[in-house]
Amino acid sequence: MVELRYVRHRYEGRVVLDFEQFGLPKNGTVALVGHNGAGKSTLLRLLALLEMPTEGHVLWNGTVVSNRARGALRSRVTLVEQRPVLFRGTVRENLQYGLRVRDIRHAAADGIIGDVVDKLGLAPLLTRRRNELSDGEVQRVAVARALVLRTDVLLLDEPASSADRAAAGALYRALAAERAERPFAVCIASHQLEDAYRWADDIRALAEGRLSPVTPENLFRVELAPAGTDTMSARVGAIDILVTTDRAGPAVLAVPPGDIFVSSAPLSSSARNVLKGRVTRIAAHRPGGGVAVTADVGVELVAIVTADAVRELALAPGVPVVFSFKASAVRVF
Amino acid sequence: MEFLAEGFRRAWSLLIAGDSEIFGIALLTLKVAVVATTIACAAGLPLGYFLATRRFWGRRAALTVVNTALAFPTVVVGLLLYGVLSRRGPLGGIGWLYTWQAIVLGDVLLALPVAAALSAAAVQGVDPRIRRTAETLGAGSWRTAWTVAREARFALAAVITAAFGQVVAEIGAALIVGGNIRGQTRTLTTAVALYTSQGDFGMALALGLVLLVLALLVNIALQALQGRGSG
Repeated sequence: MVELRYVRHRYEGRVVLDFEQFGLPKNGTVALVGHNGAGKSTLLRLLALLEMPTEGHVLWNGTVVSNRARGALRSRVTLVEQRPVLFRGTVRENLQYGLRVRDIRHAAADGIIGDVVDKLGLAPLLTRRRNELSDGEVQRVAVARALVLRTDVLLLDEPASSADRAAAGALYRALAAERAERPFAVCIASHQLEDAYRWADDIRALAEGRLSPVTPENLFRVELAPAGTDTMSARVGAIDILVTTDRAGPAVLAVPPGDIFVSSAPLSSSARNVLKGRVTRIAAHRPGGGVAVTADVGVELVAIVTADAVRELALAPGVPVVFSFKASAVRVF
Repeated sequence: MEFLAEGFRRAWSLLIAGDSEIFGIALLTLKVAVVATTIACAAGLPLGYFLATRRFWGRRAALTVVNTALAFPTVVVGLLLYGVLSRRGPLGGIGWLYTWQAIVLGDVLLALPVAAALSAAAVQGVDPRIRRTAETLGAGSWRTAWTVAREARFALAAVITAAFGQVVAEIGAALIVGGNIRGQTRTLTTAVALYTSQGDFGMALALGLVLLVLALLVNIALQALQGRGSG
């Protein structure tokens, strides 16, 4: 649907984004993870066609977007910024704003607004003004203001950062309901991965403006604490995972399933994480082939191995197994 | 003190009697001020928005020029305009020297920097997310500008008031390019200066009071506009 290729984007001479490709497929869902300042918001602004990359191209349905075409295409994509603002006026007037831009008024506008308002439970707020709303309510109204536009692409920057767990759940349910009626592409930049992972087709991590793929397996929200001269420790369920990072405090860990060595006994190696457990599940792995071996090693971890390895190690549910991986293999967001 | 009290008594009697000269001067002043403020704001407000929101080479220099022009002496503007409009000047052919149009031109030159500099500051004071949000919702340049202007309405109303104040209180340019011709280019400020120099303190005071009332009425009208709606 919309794609960025060979992008190098600068702000005041400083490179803030530098990657080869980022695509949001038609009707697809992509979650974008990364810490503050990683470049998520800038990437979303490029996807929203609000800015053009300093170097590289934006493609819309495979065609390079020119500066001239950008204006017309901008009405087919919308972005809800992190910490959104409402315009002067009531919630209803805010919801009408983008529809007026598109010359949709009166009964047609009321019908669309009513539908989205029901999904997001905003009916009691319609006559309120921005100074009468909480941060979480402003965020929900901002999402509704974007949803009523029925764009082909919806970009959400931390859409649930001001919402409590229940409100965040309602927001994601409303999005799912809307997509069930009318498919559209969604890209969500978020720290709150649990919700995004539940329905995202693809997850991309952004760090220092560079992108890397992330699989949704083996992701944990942790608290990092110093463990050695160059390692940090993270408590996950009943085990501690050692990580090479200079970060501390709250973080998200990803253990790439392809970086886990599976063996029947502990290996003598440089791997700092050696976890014993039993296989709980074996299944064919979706993208890229291989077999996904899930084991309970104090917490459920998934490793991707070849079918030959499964056969040689005689892996089956209930069989004892050892998962080993290096501290430097663990990704921290 | 007696002299002051006498001045006030005469001013009051002139106003009560509805002196036609005073009202003629007041009407001309109002006409000049409204036309000049409208032109200055019509050009200055978009210029201020442009300077506040667009990043371009020389922007800082442009802002410095506009801010410097705020303190431009009115008599110097009058003098330069006189040179331009005089018979031997580049625009001498249009015959505007000593007409009310010349006063409007001078006032526009003086009020334009006020409108541009203060509206740039007003727009810069609006949460930048407002403009970005309008763009994300598909608004074009004009609608985005209008949305930002709605958010800055209090500050922009103050800009219009300041521009009107600059125009209505201006005397240097009006005197030089208008010529203070009775019934044609005599405005409240030039008339006050004239009657004071002639020793008719009562007449000057009456005109001064009209000027004050005029400024007050415009301020009240703009405040009433500002007060409509909030949030």
